[in-house]
Amino acid sequence: MSYLELSGLQKRYRDSVAVDDVSLSVEQGEAVALLGPSGCGKTTTLRMLAGLVDPDRGAILLDDTEITRLPAHRRNMGYVFQSYALFPHLTVARNVGFGLEERGIAKAEIARQVTEALALVRLAGLDGRRPRELSGGQQQRVALARALVIRPAVLLLDESLSNLDAKLRDTMRHEIRSIQRSLGITTLFVTHDQVEALTMCDRIAVMDRGRIAQIGSPEDIYERPATRFVAEFVGRANALPATRDAEGRAVLWGQALPVKAPARGAFDLFVRPQRMRIVPVSEPVADGMARVTGRVLRSVFVGDHVEVLFEGAGGQLTIETQSGTAALPEGTEVAVIWQARDTLPFARETP
Amino acid sequence: MPTRRLVIQAGLASIAAPAIVRAQGLSGSITLMSYSGIFQDNYTKTVIEPFQQAFPGIKVNFAPGGTSAQMVGSVRAQKADPQIDVAIMDVTTSSIGNSEGLFEKLTPAEFPVLNELLPEARAAGGEYGPAVTFDHLVLVYDTQNLKPPLATLADLWRPDLKGQLAISAPPNIQGLALTAMVEKMTGGDYRKSIDNAIKKLRELAPSVNTFEPNPDGYSLILNGVVKVATGWNARSQLYADQTGGKIGALLPPEGSVFQINTINLTAGSKNRAAAAAFVNYALSQAAQKAFTERMFYAPTNAQAAIDPKAIARTAAAPDSRARMIGLDWNDVLKVRDQWNNRWRREVIAAAR
Amino acid sequence: MTGTARLKLLVLPAALFVLAVYAWPTLGLFRNAFNETGPTGAMIEAWSLKTSQEVFSDGFTFELTLNSLWLSLSATLIALMLSYPVALFLFRTTSRFRGLLAVIAIMPMLISGVVRVFGWLAILGDRGLVNTLAQSLGLISTPIKLVFNWTGVTIGLAESIMPYMILALLAGFGQLDRTLEEASRSLGASPARTFWRVTLPLSLPALALAAGLGFVLSMSAYITPKLLGGGRVFVLATEIFEQATTNTNWPVASVLAIYTLLLLLLLLVASNIAAKGLQR
Repeated sequence: MSYLELSGLQKRYRDSVAVDDVSLSVEQGEAVALLGPSGCGKTTTLRMLAGLVDPDRGAILLDDTEITRLPAHRRNMGYVFQSYALFPHLTVARNVGFGLEERGIAKAEIARQVTEALALVRLAGLDGRRPRELSGGQQQRVALARALVIRPAVLLLDESLSNLDAKLRDTMRHEIRSIQRSLGITTLFVTHDQVEALTMCDRIAVMDRGRIAQIGSPEDIYERPATRFVAEFVGRANALPATRDAEGRAVLWGQALPVKAPARGAFDLFVRPQRMRIVPVSEPVADGMARVTGRVLRSVFVGDHVEVLFEGAGGQLTIETQSGTAALPEGTEVAVIWQARDTLPFARETP
Repeated sequence: MPTRRLVIQAGLASIAAPAIVRAQGLSGSITLMSYSGIFQDNYTKTVIEPFQQAFPGIKVNFAPGGTSAQMVGSVRAQKADPQIDVAIMDVTTSSIGNSEGLFEKLTPAEFPVLNELLPEARAAGGEYGPAVTFDHLVLVYDTQNLKPPLATLADLWRPDLKGQLAISAPPNIQGLALTAMVEKMTGGDYRKSIDNAIKKLRELAPSVNTFEPNPDGYSLILNGVVKVATGWNARSQLYADQTGGKIGALLPPEGSVFQINTINLTAGSKNRAAAAAFVNYALSQAAQKAFTERMFYAPTNAQAAIDPKAIARTAAAPDSRARMIGLDWNDVLKVRDQWNNRWRREVIAAAR
Repeated sequence: MTGTARLKLLVLPAALFVLAVYAWPTLGLFRNAFNETGPTGAMIEAWSLKTSQEVFSDGFTFELTLNSLWLSLSATLIALMLSYPVALFLFRTTSRFRGLLAVIAIMPMLISGVVRVFGWLAILGDRGLVNTLAQSLGLISTPIKLVFNWTGVTIGLAESIMPYMILALLAGFGQLDRTLEEASRSLGASPARTFWRVTLPLSLPALALAAGLGFVLSMSAYITPKLLGGGRVFVLATEIFEQATTNTNWPVASVLAIYTLLLLLLLLVASNIAAKGLQR
């Protein structure tokens, strides 16, 4: 049995289901992201873990002990809120020491641990400040220190980086990840930001409409999305409507590809833009490669790469090429090729 | 008693007004300010409507004025631009208005009816507006639930009345009147000292349910909150009739005190002639008779021929008259604050 | 005309209105305070401090002040203790009936003070609900005095200021964020500890605001002490009314009114400073 087990969790509100059926096992020291769009139930799942929401069904086991109905204050979960939820009437030191005070720890010991925790999040010396005297990033660190200092069974981070600007977010991402690793603390992140999920976690659980669509390593999720939803949500992909020929191959824009089509139903081919390459029309097709021809519509320079919009016989697609190469003039007739195994066929969803 | 037909006639008369107006030479409207409620209702029916019938050109607006003090306050506030032409109020407040020059002096030459009034009615206003009604303080009691019924002022101290009294304390004039009555009961004279009264009232204080009956003592008795209250005779008689005798009014054998309402002509009245005509009418035998027979205020016009049955229920009845204490409200006004303070500090404080 | 100038123009009708119905009568009040009262109660036009001297050399004025302060303090504290849970509940509930509940909570505001007082008489009187119930349960043999004394006035006043205090609390709960309480819970504080360490301290500005409002309303309350006091409860407001409308003594009433006004201003300033201090 894993360190943390969620099994069959469900939470319904008046006329909607927030969490339908969530089961998840987390190993000690592991960092798992709950990734999904807003309203997918990821925050509700986290709140059920913290005891802030009562599940309607299902169970939560921590270290083989059921905690499903344990009140929040007896769960020892370190929760870092999206808004940080720092106590405005208390100093930084009292904020960080709050949980220790509740545990009846001696004053001197609290002071020592608070200092240590503040040092860990690189806020040494700000003990006496009030939360509103801190920058957003500093507040975030205080919230983190406050959650860490109680040595929580599980650290729960709820969209903890979403209120920071892009640059600070990058820094904090790495800091949190390294603290998490060095303390070996079991961590659950809730995020809608795939970069956050991909870079900070050992495993990702992609959630969709109250259920987990796929659990796996960042690579798994990215390279081998199990569902159309995962493929669409994580990373970028060209979704290309295709048909099936007599041999069961996928046909795109009238050209048969060496890709096996699903047995029945309408489907789309998913290909990540950076897996595609632009080659001269004259270049022969290698084995195991898919190929379509058409012309360059437009090239957009995005900094570290160039996005090329390409138009073929049956539609458009986007290709990501490395920057630094000469841009192809608009209207150039070219071929687009990619590895057939990078093509993922998913049934078209009937709305 | 004006019947519905009379009212209708009055209405018709006012439609046919123009011709008569010229004949009477008086027209326009005047405003009379006085007490609201049953006083207004009955005064309108017995005095105002017949007056309007006699003077079809004049329209009398009745402005309910709250307490007498509020009325004199209204007249005072409108001193520069009077909106009230005639005011009927308690003598203690009209005397304030008189000394502030708010009201006019009235002469027998202009108001011959003054010569028909009782001497004490003339005296009440001095050279100013005379008394228009006499009333007196009574003890109102619950006839159904108080056994034996109240017979004397001294009965207030009966142990079975503990918590059953509603006594209006000063500065309400009922409280002032009661003070003089209790002083008399204990053998003293309010003009010299009220020490005896205060000492006696202090003993009464714990029995008092409220020193400020709201809306009034009569209602508190009818609602069963108390069994005895201080009140005025006229209203008590009327309520007794209206409730089929559920409340009784006692003029204590130990004596009672007159309450006097004066009728006052506002200085600077914009329709002085019409206002003067109304004052004249209000003091006339007909008006006095009608109002006394309707509401049991004792008349101030000595020549009014009033139904003996009605007279018997007012202070004008001979045996009642004999019991009245000669209280001069002008004397009391001077010591009012002092009495008020003694009540607060010595009487009401004992009841806490 | 600039935008702000135009905006200022919008305030003009209200300003004129206040000037007409408040400033002007207040000026009259000031004028009357310098008048004197003759021996029989007639007002004498003057510019003198005689009336003020009389009022402030009378020990009763001091007694009235203490009575007013004490009554306001007790009514405010009682109302505060009752309003706080109600306001907290209203602030937090996610019930679809929240709007309705809020209206119910402040409904007494819509009822005439006089009607409310008579309601209390029916409840607290000798033969009222409380006494009848207590007697039928054998708890007491004779009715206990709950009205026409300080007890009744305090209860009635506390009830009458509650809706205002609930509104003030709701307006002042700005800092009170459910997430902060959740943070406290997640850090190991029980609901009771959370209330004590987070909810209550963060409610202090709201409580100060509400208490200030309740106190000022209590100080100026007239109907409740008058009708429920049974003539035994003397406070500044009732005395002002009595002097003005029973004694026709406008100068004394004016002096007392100005005195009360200054007292209230002082209290408002103090409560504002206290609320700001707590907000920091």
